[in-house]
Amino acid sequence: VSELFVVGMSWRTAPVAVREKLAFREEEVPVALSAMTAKLPVAEALLISTCNRVEVYGVSKPGGDAASAVRAFLAEQRGVKPSDVAEHIYEHRGSAAVRHVFSVASSLDSLVVGEAQILGQLKEAYSVADAAGTKGSVLSRCLERAFGVAKRVRTETTIARGAANVSSVAVELAGVVFKDLAGKNVLVIGAGKMSALAARHLYASGAQKIVVTNRSPEKARALAEEIEGDAKPWEDLQGLLVDADVVISSTGAREPILTKALFKKVMKARRWRNVMVIDIAVPRDAEAAIGELDGVYLFNIDDLDKVKQANLAERAKAAEHAAKIVEHEAGQFEHWMRTQGVVPTIRALRERFVQVADAEMQKAFDQLARKELTRDQQRELMQRVVQLVVNKLLHQPTTVLRGADRGEAAVLANAVCELFGLMPDEEAQEPVAEAAAPEQSPERKAQA
Amino acid sequence: VNPSDTSERVRLLSVAPSPAFWVAVVLYGAAAAALLVVLAGKAKARPVALALVGAAFAAHGVDIGWRGTLGVHPAQSVREAIGFLAFILTGGYLLASVRYRLTLGGVVVMPLSVILLVLARLTPAGQAQEDLSALGRVHISLATIGVGIFALASALSAIYLAEDRALKKKKFDAIAFKDRGAPLESLDRLAHRLIWVGFPIFTISLVLGAVWVSKLGASLDRLEYPLAAVTWLAFATLLVARQVYGWRGRRAAVLTLEGFASALAVLIIYLVRRMVE
Repeated sequence: VSELFVVGMSWRTAPVAVREKLAFREEEVPVALSAMTAKLPVAEALLISTCNRVEVYGVSKPGGDAASAVRAFLAEQRGVKPSDVAEHIYEHRGSAAVRHVFSVASSLDSLVVGEAQILGQLKEAYSVADAAGTKGSVLSRCLERAFGVAKRVRTETTIARGAANVSSVAVELAGVVFKDLAGKNVLVIGAGKMSALAARHLYASGAQKIVVTNRSPEKARALAEEIEGDAKPWEDLQGLLVDADVVISSTGAREPILTKALFKKVMKARRWRNVMVIDIAVPRDAEAAIGELDGVYLFNIDDLDKVKQANLAERAKAAEHAAKIVEHEAGQFEHWMRTQGVVPTIRALRERFVQVADAEMQKAFDQLARKELTRDQQRELMQRVVQLVVNKLLHQPTTVLRGADRGEAAVLANAVCELFGLMPDEEAQEPVAEAAAPEQSPERKAQA
Repeated sequence: VNPSDTSERVRLLSVAPSPAFWVAVVLYGAAAAALLVVLAGKAKARPVALALVGAAFAAHGVDIGWRGTLGVHPAQSVREAIGFLAFILTGGYLLASVRYRLTLGGVVVMPLSVILLVLARLTPAGQAQEDLSALGRVHISLATIGVGIFALASALSAIYLAEDRALKKKKFDAIAFKDRGAPLESLDRLAHRLIWVGFPIFTISLVLGAVWVSKLGASLDRLEYPLAAVTWLAFATLLVARQVYGWRGRRAAVLTLEGFASALAVLIIYLVRRMVE
């Protein structure tokens, strides 16, 4: 477990303006994974890039400082000065990393605690790492267990109860602007999964029509089919905006699509009917300035977070319970990993002992085969064989113990005592004397 | 009542407030305080607050009725009309509260009602009112109803602006957001409908008022007249701009408040003039 690490940033540590700089697009992830395992002291790696977090889960190669290398790598990949993002990036190693991964999978670290999307995103990232060949045994075990923990948390706590994901926050905000969603048109820009979820939620809450538009018409059509909406050509965007009441945008574009200039025209054409723009894309799709226009209610991913804070109190208790489950599971996982770690050692130890014994036995058999031995000679031979085996087995430990410096020697000596259940004389004297003293006193008191 | 009897006219104008008036004033104050408590987060106090509003409204009604038995009608004089305006406001607020949670609106309407009522009953009447012709009474009645409706629309607009601001500034813990009574869309639509109803009434009252003033042969250089014109213009602009250009939302709310502010200024200037004279 000690070599497991987490490096990244999330909504907790970085505002959207910083997160969008480090965000990876889907197709960039496998490339980055391969680069990390090839160039850095990283044995295994997984990269998760959602709108709320960019994180690398990895296993370092022995002796290498993988976490620091990944930290620099992330900045370099995105062309950002490492010093600009340093304060937003966190690192977890060993057991802290295990706890973090479990917490993320269980949605305890999510913007909306208890939301289910992150688990799906994590599973996706896991299979991407698998396909890229950067998923090894340690990550596999950790992630598989994390998925199990997430399931346990969902079934054993009330963390997922009540509407508190990005989509329902969007519905809640729509309730402040609109009387109800009946008869309202929803426009989905970009064919992302997040927007699909939000659109579906709005539709379920009464929205009349969903229109999907995307740069790639095929993707728009696929999503439209999935959520029973209409796919419209990207070129009609301005007209679509005029007809829409709720706009959900989550494209992978690097530059804003919904500009102030565009919205000025749109608002005039829609006669300033209120429009709600939910920009869940990172990098953002909408210029912040459109939110200043009359009748435009713009919410980005961080705004949705603020709304959720109000609902969070309800889930806080469930989260406490869930955190205990995560803590317990992380402890068990570490224990299990540790025992998994010593198994090869035990096997090697046994093999060596057997090997030494076999070698000496073989020599003895050879001697026996060469000439007849008297009963006394046989006895002598056996004694010698045992002596030799003991000597050979003790040679290496003894040399190491003698050669070690003071501090190391004490540690090793203790380990030997512990392993073989020894009680060296010099050390045994004092505790015995101490232990004897209090035993006498009650007697004396009794006599007195 | 014989209007030509001067002593009778003077008696009517100096009718002292009924005991119900004092009860109404206290209840209005209590209702405003209770609504503030609700706004501060004690949602359980809402029924109590609304009951107080209802009680104040009833007491106010009793006061108006009591004056009625003495021959003083709400449209008898501008002072009476102002008291009646407060009554219309409270009634409208109660009606709207049946459907929406308008705590914020109540915090605006209740103090406004109590101020108008006190102004109407307790300000010095000054010299005896000139004889009110039927024309004058119709003018006052319509103006009161019109301004009352505008006042309700303004209260909705004020809430609209508060909610709009909370949303725009992402102040999701702001009172306007947490205790929002109605969505922006409903507030805008309701205010617009009220103005649609109030505007023709107000227009007719203005025309009648102009006729009345010219018949009396009074001078037209009083400050109230251009201010009343400003009120009319604001609401006229609002209705036309909405129809033609689709103005609504924040813009409409601001214009509504501007129009109502000038209507309020008309009333205040009138009262001050009465006191001075």
